[in-house]
Parts: sequence; C-alpha cells; structure tokens
Amino acid sequence: MHTLVTFAFKNVRRKPARTAILIFAIALLVSALVFSISFVQRVNGSIKRTSERLGADLIVVPNNARGAAEEVLLENQTKSFYMDRSILDRVRAIDGVAVVTEQIYLVTLSTMCCSVPEAMVVAFNPETDFIIKPWLAEKLKRPLAKGEAVAGAESSFNIRLGLVDVNSKLFGNEFKLVGSLDKTGTGLDNAVFITLDNMDQIIKSGAAGKLKPSDISIIFVRVKPGVDPSRIAAKVEDTIIEADAVSRRDIGRNVITALKDISRIFTMTIILAAVMSFFLVWAIFTAIANERAKEVGIMRAIGAKESHIMRLYLIEVLTVGVIGSLLGILAGSALSAVFSSTFSIVQQLSTSLTLTERVVIALVSFLGGTLICVLGALGPVRRLKGLEPLLVIKTE
Amino acid sequence: MPQIALENIVKDYPVGSATIAAVRNATTSVERGQFVSIVGHSGSGKTTLLSLIGGMVRPTAGRVLFNGQDVYAWDSDRLSEYRCEKVGFMFQSASLLPVLTARENLLLPAAFHSKPAAGHERRAEDLLRAVGLGDKLHAYPSQLSGGQQRRVAIARAFMNEPELILADEPTGDLDEETESEMMQFFLRMNAERGTTFLMVTHNSDLAGRARQRFRMDRGELTVLQ
Repeated sequence: MHTLVTFAFKNVRRKPARTAILIFAIALLVSALVFSISFVQRVNGSIKRTSERLGADLIVVPNNARGAAEEVLLENQTKSFYMDRSILDRVRAIDGVAVVTEQIYLVTLSTMCCSVPEAMVVAFNPETDFIIKPWLAEKLKRPLAKGEAVAGAESSFNIRLGLVDVNSKLFGNEFKLVGSLDKTGTGLDNAVFITLDNMDQIIKSGAAGKLKPSDISIIFVRVKPGVDPSRIAAKVEDTIIEADAVSRRDIGRNVITALKDISRIFTMTIILAAVMSFFLVWAIFTAIANERAKEVGIMRAIGAKESHIMRLYLIEVLTVGVIGSLLGILAGSALSAVFSSTFSIVQQLSTSLTLTERVVIALVSFLGGTLICVLGALGPVRRLKGLEPLLVIKTE
Repeated sequence: MPQIALENIVKDYPVGSATIAAVRNATTSVERGQFVSIVGHSGSGKTTLLSLIGGMVRPTAGRVLFNGQDVYAWDSDRLSEYRCEKVGFMFQSASLLPVLTARENLLLPAAFHSKPAAGHERRAEDLLRAVGLGDKLHAYPSQLSGGQQRRVAIARAFMNEPELILADEPTGDLDEETESEMMQFFLRMNAERGTTFLMVTHNSDLAGRARQRFRMDRGELTVLQ
C-alpha cells in the first residue's frame, strides 16, 4: 500500500499546473458551498431559534407594526410601537386563548434620557410573564425587583460597563444592573429588561416621550392545548381592527421568503460550479487515462489487479479532492466572515453559527467537494482499470 | 506433470476485414527448471507466444496449462495473481514507470503481491546490486541509460521470486560485456533456484546455451531439440 500511495502522490506532482487547476476548481466549489450553506443556515437557524425561545404561540402587535416587531425579535433592531392596553383584555377574552402577557418597548437615546448607548429597553409584566422569567430563572435565579435591570447577552454596553452592580440611568431613573442573561438567540439579546412597575416613574419623568400609561407594545399569547394558533391569529385580526397577529410559524415569514430567493440563487450557482468541476475533473482524468494507458498496461502485466489500478487512481483523485476541499473550506469561511457583513439580513441577525454547525457545514462541504472529484474521475478510471496487459506488448 | 503445457494454441488477430494468425496450433510442454530459447524472424509470433504463456492475451483456441491448471479458465484477479506471483516478464523495451525510482519500480510488483514477502525492500536493493546498479537505487528512469533501464527491468522480473521467467529479447540493448553478465545471472538463477526460463533471442550464441530450443516460423512452433 505504501508503494501505491507514493506512486499516487508522485502522479499528483507530475503536472503541477494541471493539478493546480483541479485543486482550484474544487476549492472554488467548496468555498461556494461553505459560504452559501453558512448563510442560509444562519438565517434559518436564527428564525427557528427565535420562535422556539420566545415560547409564545402568537404575538399581537399594533396594526402595521408586524414588520417592526419582527425586526426587534429577529434582527436586533431598536424600534418602538404602541397600542392601547385594552387590547390585552380583548385578546385574553378570545375563546382558545390560555394566557397572555404584555411588554413595552422603549428605545434609549444616550444624549437625551439615558447613560447607555442606543438599545431596546423591554418592560415586562412579572405577574403574567412567560417569556423573560424562564430566562431570568436560568441566570438570576430570583425575580427582578423594582429599580433593577438585567441586560441581554449582547447588549452593547454590557461589556463596557462590566455589568454587575453598576448603576445606569434609564429614562431619567437610576437602575441597578444586576446581571446579564444567557444568549437566547433572539433579537432581545440586545435589550435591557425592567419590570412594568418602573413604568409609572419613567412616564412621570417625561423621558419616554409620548408614551402613555395605557400603552403597551406587544402581547404574547399562548393558546390552549389542541387549539390552532393560526385560527386564533385570524380571530384576533377579525375582531380587533387595531391589531395584527402573527402565529409562531409565521414569525419571520417575510425574511424566509426573501431568503428563499437568495437560496435559489446560491443553489443554482453551486449546481453550476459542481457541474463545471465534474466536467473539468472528467476531462482531465480522461486525458490522464489516455496518457497513462501504457503505464497501466505495464502494471497489469506485472500483476496489478483491476482493484490496484482503481485504488491507485482513487488515491490520486482523493488527494486532489481533499487538498481542494480543505482550501475551499478555509476560503469559504473567510468569505463568510468578510462578505456576510455586506448582507444586511445577516448583519442584523441575533445569532451566529455554533461550533457544531460550523463543523457540520465544513464536513458537508468537504464531502461534497471530494465526492464531485471522485465522481468526475470515476468514468475515466474505470476505463483505465479494465485495460489489458497486452497493450504494453502491442505498443512496443 | 510439465510446468507449462500448450494444447493446440491458436491466436488470431483481426486486421481490418482479414485475420492474421499469430500462433497456429502450437502444442508443446516445458518441464520445471528448463532453460528454453525461442528463435524466429520478426513477426513470427514469438512475443505472442510468450504473452499467451504469461496470461496476458487470451488464445483464440486451445489451452495453456500451468502446473496442470488451465490459465485462461481463471478469472481476472486470479490471472493477475498468476502474472504477479508465478511469472516474471521482461518486455522488449524496459517498460519502467517514469515517475518511480529504480528501487520503487522494483517494489511495485511486491505491492501487487497478495502476501508480499518480508524484507522485500531489502530484496529490491539486493537485486539492483546484483545487476550492477547498487549506486542507482534512487535514480529515475530518465536519469539512466537504455542499458541501465533494461537491467532495472531484468531485476524487476525477479522481484516476486517467480517460478517462470518469460524474457522477450532481454539483452537487446546491452553491450556485449553486460549481455554476458546478465546471461550468467540468468543461468545462475536457473541453476540455484530452479526458475524456468523461456527466452526469445536473435542471438544464436545465447540461444545455443539453452537446454531446449523452439523455433517460431509464421506462427508455427517447432521444437528443435
């Protein structure tokens, strides 16, 4: 086996320019695979994680604020929107609704109200909340008291302030930052959380602009077991004209629709690259098969089985495939890091890929690149292995 | 039982719409340890005869028996094992693999062996020394003269310690002195190891040293002695 491996490696180095072209083509294909899978996975994963972590079956927001709500929940954007608190009771009264809880969203502006850079401040109702309390239970292990704030994992000022036991001014009121939450994978990772009982003082201070005591931003709804959230969402929209309702599976639908188009472009590019790589490998190995027919004849004459010939050329093609794929993974990862920042959809996503996801993407791309290489070479190599030893005699 | 037996061997090659008979109804046998020379004009079918015995080309009719077994009844893998483990073939030209060194060219048949002997690397080096190329172990064929390449090919044929050597004008490119040295080497291997030799040669002196002589004439095999 050692001699065959040496032989295959020497064959790889035989025509450096030709080998370099092959490696470049495979690297190009694999880098496209890594980049596009990373992109799609990041967007898809972020939306899926958000809807799962929110723990609500549907959200109710002011009319025409659906886009803004999705931007807050999915894309780390800072937006505020308000509707009247009476809607909360009207939603609660709908048959099939189990529990509801409300939140108020405020945007900090460091020059006017607050001692922190622009961020979302989320006021939640500790009596009814089922969104934030599970996150608090994981990290703070006690309820949040009046005058206390807790920061999301990625709040831009967390790091700057060193976070724990730091007093910050929010909307004219002093808050004690008592901790930070674990990463949730939602847009709320970028927010600061306080309880609703702080809102009276904030509104009185006048630092929250036109916000009225009766305003709320969003209602999270859990439906009773067996009830279809889409049906409740439709009922909300039918009966409460001032509100829009979005069921869990529809959260991020606009982003997903946009993503599908981008995915289609990526898929077509990858298919084209794969087909081109396949034919390039096929053409080069067809040339190799013609060039080395006599050598194969010699090997067959001195005792090589068809499997030896197959193994020899598979080692050669695998070497090219592996080098090309590894280079492609490096290039693709670099591309993802550099160019993903130019896609605003990715730039604003709340989560990045986990290490496991990165490893899986690298593995899938590696296998894809190597497989195309092997498939492209398979035809010519199969023809080669079947050559009869007589060929060497005849060509003399 | 003879080591090799040819039974009514016919080999035809189609050339356009015609057929050329390279070997016609050849029947003979060779005992183990024999040293056989094959003489004949160019195109008389000598190389085809060796190829038929070496398991490299299927006869149109007839049987080639090795130790009583029909070589062409075997499947492709078994036939490869026969070429690898029982037969050492010296072609008309050196037929070395250009990307491998002299030593690696010798190691290749061992790599194809189902049970390569222990110490085959040492054996490759010893064989190269035996043919006078101890200082060329790591030389590539392009760095060797025609005669040196030929000697590497001779050494390669002995790599797997075959029972039968089929040599197609093996000393054609060699000078007189080296030719004589190689002939001594063959005779020593024949005497010491009992290796059977079938050697095509135009050299009547070389042919005269063989204990059994065949002549090929327009595809017909005649046993001269």
